[in-house]
Amino acid sequence: MRSRIEKIYMGIILVFMYAPIATLIVLSFNGSKSRARWGGFTFKWYINLFGDDKILNALANTLIIALISTVVATIIGTLTCVGLMGLKRRSRAFIMGITNIPMINADIVTGISLMLLFKVLRFGTGFVTVLLAHVTFNIPYVLLAVMPRMKTINPNVYEAALDLGAEPFYAFRKSVLPDLMPAVLSGALMAFTMSLDDFIITYFTKGSGFDTLSTKIYNEVKRGIQPEIYALSSIIFVVVIVLLVTSSMIKGRQGTGAKKKVSLYKVEKKITSGQAFAIGAVTVFIIMLGLYFGGVFARKSNQLFVYNAGEYIDPKVIDMFEAETGIDVIYDEFETLEIMYAKMVQDDSAYDVICPSDYMIAKMIDNGMLRELDLDAIPNRKYIGEQYLESAKSFDPENKYSVPYCWGTVGILYNKNMVEEPVTSWDILWNKKYAGQILMQDSIRDAFMVAEKRRGYSLNTTDPDELSKAADDLIAQRPLVQAYVIDQARDKMIGGEAALAVIYSGEVIYTQRENPDLAYSVPDEGSNVWIDGWVVTKHARNPEAAMKWIDFLCRPEIALMNFDFITYSSPNTAARELIEDEAIRNSEVAFPSEEVLERCDTYSYLGEDGDALYNDMWKKVKSGG
Amino acid sequence: MFNSRKTSRLLASPYIAWAMIFIIVPLGMILFYGLTDESGAFTFANIAAIAEPVHLRSLILALILSVISTVICFFLAYPLGMILARNKLSSQGIITTLFILPMWMNFLLRTLAWMTLLENKGVINGVLDFIGLPEINVINTPGAIVLGMVYNFLPFMILPIYNSLSSIDDNVINAARDLGADAVQTFFKVTLPLTVPGIISGITMVFIPALTTFAISTMLGGSKILLIGNIIEQEFTLSYDWNLGAGLSIVLMVFIVINMVVSALSDKKGEDR
Repeated sequence: MRSRIEKIYMGIILVFMYAPIATLIVLSFNGSKSRARWGGFTFKWYINLFGDDKILNALANTLIIALISTVVATIIGTLTCVGLMGLKRRSRAFIMGITNIPMINADIVTGISLMLLFKVLRFGTGFVTVLLAHVTFNIPYVLLAVMPRMKTINPNVYEAALDLGAEPFYAFRKSVLPDLMPAVLSGALMAFTMSLDDFIITYFTKGSGFDTLSTKIYNEVKRGIQPEIYALSSIIFVVVIVLLVTSSMIKGRQGTGAKKKVSLYKVEKKITSGQAFAIGAVTVFIIMLGLYFGGVFARKSNQLFVYNAGEYIDPKVIDMFEAETGIDVIYDEFETLEIMYAKMVQDDSAYDVICPSDYMIAKMIDNGMLRELDLDAIPNRKYIGEQYLESAKSFDPENKYSVPYCWGTVGILYNKNMVEEPVTSWDILWNKKYAGQILMQDSIRDAFMVAEKRRGYSLNTTDPDELSKAADDLIAQRPLVQAYVIDQARDKMIGGEAALAVIYSGEVIYTQRENPDLAYSVPDEGSNVWIDGWVVTKHARNPEAAMKWIDFLCRPEIALMNFDFITYSSPNTAARELIEDEAIRNSEVAFPSEEVLERCDTYSYLGEDGDALYNDMWKKVKSGG
Repeated sequence: MFNSRKTSRLLASPYIAWAMIFIIVPLGMILFYGLTDESGAFTFANIAAIAEPVHLRSLILALILSVISTVICFFLAYPLGMILARNKLSSQGIITTLFILPMWMNFLLRTLAWMTLLENKGVINGVLDFIGLPEINVINTPGAIVLGMVYNFLPFMILPIYNSLSSIDDNVINAARDLGADAVQTFFKVTLPLTVPGIISGITMVFIPALTTFAISTMLGGSKILLIGNIIEQEFTLSYDWNLGAGLSIVLMVFIVINMVVSALSDKKGEDR
């Protein structure tokens, strides 16, 4: 009876722990992108996964970092343990006290503290900084695993070996190390696990152009879940199971299940030459894998660091650019302009070429972060429509710093099956009927724009009264909002997760293609019209390549490729004429009428104080008042 | 080596140098940034900022959610630890490994799994719909975040509790029973006190990461629920107010120190008994 209850209890917890993982595995074979529907068995996500260089790259980086940091931490940690035995008790306690800090401290504090250190030391962030960080938090795991065992070792054995004429290192290797080995290995295993699993510390120390699996997945997830990630989860899970089963089989064969006894001289577990060979082979394999895929040892010459919004280019365009110019593109995506800006403040040479929006371009010009473009190197700029260059003067008065890339409006995307009344006003986003069905933009200016326009204020207001009224409205709206999202809005609307979303017009054609029930409206109170443009940073390491990049994107056929892929309106008039589908070429969404544009304004840069005000208010909104 | 101080120092010195540069100095930098303003002048404003309603609320919410998660983890893990410890001789390893194995899956993948399950059009609602039950609405609520915390950190509670339970000498239990204690008395007077160190380390390993997480609340809270970890993260990635971010981190460190002191005290108490 009792054992049955025990079994049921264990069963329940096992289901709780494994059901989610099993779900991931099942979904990795699901032909439909939807999570709630089975769309037939498929291997295509696995095939896609192995075609995705970036994920493989991140995987290779993760393994390499874990491996190197484990080896370094194990060596340093073991040496330290040996050394500590000869030190005074008090200094030993002091060092162990310091060792406890990274163990007990919150990861976020450790991550931030290391980030500040690297920033002040002017360390270029990337592979090296992540590695240093991982070694730092790994050493304590080794120390804490080895130290208790070290204390049980009888120094007389070592002394005896010396007396018998052994060299110190030989004596250590033969008399002490074998006893220490199980503890060293378990410390190393712990360190390896922690390194593989770490997200927060890596997140703060990684810098630009470098991702481990954790940070990569975090970015992917914020954009909407890709089934390829399910495929990746299943592979990782299977590998982990295989490793565990093999290792327990090896153990089982050696130990024959007898209960271990602690003995000072008896070696609990010797590593056979076969196992040593296996470990060595795995190590070499991982390093080869890293060399093949990893950005780790990539050559540093002729690279171009590009920083763009999420899903804002046809990936084939990047390949074509690389093939044609021989320039190696390191392509990163930011979630919001504010995040991009914070990154550039942290490291002003992190990226060569960036694609921000109007008000952010003005802010960057204002802060001297941009470099004047070399227009002779960008002859294809002539394909950009005159009217767009004219509008761009509102944030870049002489068109010196930026070349327009995409433009559009902000409006409401809604599901015709879920919303009955016509959508003509922002008011509908405050309608209680749609509680839990509304997606708001998780970006400061767009969220405030909605509230400001609804009250008839300017979307560039810095009047504290108006702003706090707008903030109060957003706070009142918060209970109705399902989630604050950016790129996820698209997938959620396609999947019918929500009825209404504040969205950029560029997403509309794509989402309608996937789900014909969706419609778009720019409310009567007016909205925002925006232009995104490519700029080159002041401290760009490769400005020539950056100019080539911009020129390449201005080619009509390339602009057309991008338009087809991302469906954001292109200011490239030559490209627009190349659009074959007449319905799209004349689409009211992609190329809105004068009448719509008249009620839309652009954002302007509000100055440091204005930004700080918006930041404060936004924090208030997000935390509910 | 064991008695030559010089060799000992030589062997320990790489780590001592490493710890100075990468543990002590960075913490000093947090203190420095947290206690100065943009111009570098000394101020307490960044620490006092925790009293602002926005920050205070996110801290309190984080405390509530992490305490709830820790308590749930404890009550799930302790019985499990006892069951596992009792069966230690029969099926060595494998069963225990099963409960620890999810730790080897990437932390974000584990959280992603719950996103997939809980979404409005996710797997659970799909199944409920199929069998004709009403759909549930859990995603983007504090409940979803607690679930994510429990799921992610449960192995960290199981492991130390299991370790301390399985290291109890059976003779101690038998002695208690021989002396007339019933099962309940034995549990409360013998087993539980002997596992206090394991419980404490389990609580620490669940409570601290739960209190300071920002990934779980972002993924399962729909960016709608800000915990103190989110606030600090945003100061660095969004508002680039490093001084404020560092100041709030110092406040977090205070909680970590409190946790350390409490666990050190109860550790002592456990030894006294």
